[in-house]
Amino acid sequence: MKEEVLRMDRIACMEQGVMELNHFCLDIDAGEIVGLIPINDTGLPTLLRLLRQNLPIHYGYVYYRGKLVNHWQESDLSYNRIAVIESRSGLADDLTVADNVFVLRQGFKKHIIRRKVLNRQLEPFLRETGVDLSADTCARDLSIFPRFVTELVKAVVAGCRLIVLMEPGSVISDARLDTLQQILRHYANEGFSFLYVSRHYEEARQICTRAAIMVNGQIAKVVDTADTPPEMLQCFGVEAYTQMVRRQERGHPTSEATPALALAGIRYGCIKGLDLVVTAGECVVLQDLNNHILNDLITLLSSRQKPASGILTVGGHPLTWSRRREIAVIQQQPTQTMLFPELSYMDNLCFTLDHRMPAIWRRAAPRTSIQRELGPSLGPQVFDCPVEELSPKEKYDLVYTRVLLQRPRVAICVQPFMRADVEQRMQIWQLMERLLGKGISVVILAVNLADSLALADRLVRVRDGCVQAVYTREDFASLPASAPWHNFWVGNDKREAAEFPKS
Amino acid sequence: MKWKCRYLSQYITILAAVQGLIMLLLVVGCIMASQQAAWPMLLTVTLVLQIGLCFVIYLWIIRPYRQAERMVSLFLEGYSLSSLDNRSMSLSPASARLTEYVKEELNANRLLKLSKRQAQYRALQNQINPHFLYNTLESIRSEALVAGLDSVADMTEALAVFFRYTISKVENLVTVEEELQNCETYFAIQQYRFGPRLRLQIDCDPEDKEEIYRCRIPKLTLQPILENGIIHGTEFKIGAGKLRVKLERTEKLLTILVSDDGVGMGEAALAQLNEQLDKSGRAFQEDKEEHTGGVALVNVNNRIHLLFGEEYGLHVFSIPMVGTDVRITLPIITSNRELMQSEVIS
Repeated sequence: MKEEVLRMDRIACMEQGVMELNHFCLDIDAGEIVGLIPINDTGLPTLLRLLRQNLPIHYGYVYYRGKLVNHWQESDLSYNRIAVIESRSGLADDLTVADNVFVLRQGFKKHIIRRKVLNRQLEPFLRETGVDLSADTCARDLSIFPRFVTELVKAVVAGCRLIVLMEPGSVISDARLDTLQQILRHYANEGFSFLYVSRHYEEARQICTRAAIMVNGQIAKVVDTADTPPEMLQCFGVEAYTQMVRRQERGHPTSEATPALALAGIRYGCIKGLDLVVTAGECVVLQDLNNHILNDLITLLSSRQKPASGILTVGGHPLTWSRRREIAVIQQQPTQTMLFPELSYMDNLCFTLDHRMPAIWRRAAPRTSIQRELGPSLGPQVFDCPVEELSPKEKYDLVYTRVLLQRPRVAICVQPFMRADVEQRMQIWQLMERLLGKGISVVILAVNLADSLALADRLVRVRDGCVQAVYTREDFASLPASAPWHNFWVGNDKREAAEFPKS
Repeated sequence: MKWKCRYLSQYITILAAVQGLIMLLLVVGCIMASQQAAWPMLLTVTLVLQIGLCFVIYLWIIRPYRQAERMVSLFLEGYSLSSLDNRSMSLSPASARLTEYVKEELNANRLLKLSKRQAQYRALQNQINPHFLYNTLESIRSEALVAGLDSVADMTEALAVFFRYTISKVENLVTVEEELQNCETYFAIQQYRFGPRLRLQIDCDPEDKEEIYRCRIPKLTLQPILENGIIHGTEFKIGAGKLRVKLERTEKLLTILVSDDGVGMGEAALAQLNEQLDKSGRAFQEDKEEHTGGVALVNVNNRIHLLFGEEYGLHVFSIPMVGTDVRITLPIITSNRELMQSEVIS
């Protein structure tokens, strides 16, 4: 007999007059790892809130561990023992791993904390996970993967029978993701259940027995992953995106004359002798398999620090503060991290134009000219709109157009597809194509390949701070089968690609 | 005995009287207070009483009013019939009588009978004399056997068994096993039409099989859904089609998933169908016999709601060109004693 852990039955939930969840049904049994594939973002934040807390709902029933905890007639606002692990840390930064796991636990009543006892108690849990992690490590010093494991152990110790993992594949490298999945399987065998949220069905398929396809706040279908190959889910706009990927030409035109960006024997922080040459108009994906060097690399490329050793050149010249505009860094989730709500749309757009037009802030004429020129493509109404009120699409347009105006030699895109739904991925893809079309090199920094691979001319894999392997487009078929769009690179699909010539 | 008001109007009268007394206290206090020093105390007392009154007004009037308003609006949206029963308090004696009248009109037993009639409507069209039908089918079978037409004889037999189950067994609930047998009979008849193009698979955990097969479910729950799967799903599909009935149980719940790998349906059609199922109350209110689509599903769903409550019922999942799943959730009922506990049936 199966043991039901969660059952959300015909949930309808409104937020600010908008129906976020409608006819939403999802059930998870004990020991099961269920995937959730959100085709778009509608309803996903609401779902997470409803899992954590029994908030008022318009209609429906929520059962947790066989007990009716929330229904349309009465919501008691109580909290469920359901843990949500996200890319943002849920740990107290200044406490150690052991403190986070035990002291912050509900029901912990000891007044004197004996660190040795806590460490001893934590040891079997850490041993179970097989991760080399010290109980005394401060949470602030944990990188993403150990932090995920710590939060997982914390949830297990706290007695959460259901643990939600928010897009682990977008922040954890492939190798570490395998380890995480082994840990999940171990806990699933012990009766813990998981809801594995991923934008990529291929990723969820590796670990989940069932995957729920969520679109516009309703579960369209729950598929058995063993019986359902990814090709069967070419709908909900995924098809258009797939075709766009398949139409991708075999590489972008590049100029070999002068490298746009060259790193020779760079050492800084966790970077230990990194060599990389990017030619003009080339798209390179730099995958950090350990997720160690990205922050250090961004620091160097933003000209905030100089490397301890090695040479970093842009367009053949050493990167200095005065040449900082020759590299544009597009941070991850740029719509949240790269826009200034207190500034106007125009100010946001011209933010990095000072090197090309020194008088941009003194004279109105250049800005009027830019508005006139870009108005038709960006939409004339956006210029008068407060930045916070722009749609996600308009925000992405703003960020990438700023980079286009800046006209750097190299654009560094940090996890560009992170947390983007299918529509946004298509837009980001097109925006990066525009950058490449202007001869700007694009370097995608990623821990997980996700959608980046299909756009890339080259894949550079970095492990322990130095280059481990370099793959050209011809070599992509030799990547592991779990790599997104892997089918595209192997024989049959290459033939299919010929059927979709780029118009 | 604990005294309690039945209507909001009574509370409003009482609280208005209390408010009047407070104002009177203030006025009398103003007249009587000869000394300036008495004023702060008088104002403080009035303020405290006023705040207390506001709190009571919220508890006794505003909150029940909002709750009643929400229940009525959900009922009008078609979400729930039971919401009328759950109204803790009526506005006035007249509105209470109105509620009683509506409840009487939506009497569960009456609706159940109506729903059952709808469910059997198509099958009962020829029920003028069922024995005549059985006898005729038996005669055809005999003729077919004499003529050496075994397939016609088998088909006729299957049809007779199907009709006998549909028409003759009039109990509200049957066992899962009986219902599955009827599905297999129905499927056997359909296979004469579709041949090997159509396959049926019944999945059940062997450990739970015996218990699941003993569970009681409303009669004609599975067959209409299976029929829907064939007509709207696999019939339009190019190539072979597969139908699957998957049965699972937890401590309190029986879940039956009827899946087809047919053409499926788009997001809008899916949302519309689930809307019809979720807002089953609307179908009763409007006393509709004809719907835009999914008549069989709505009908089965309504019967489940009436028999077991709104927390059980049907839900549809579908993706175009992948297939459709109809999930049926039912309470675990295995014995007659449990059966009789259901108010509607008894």
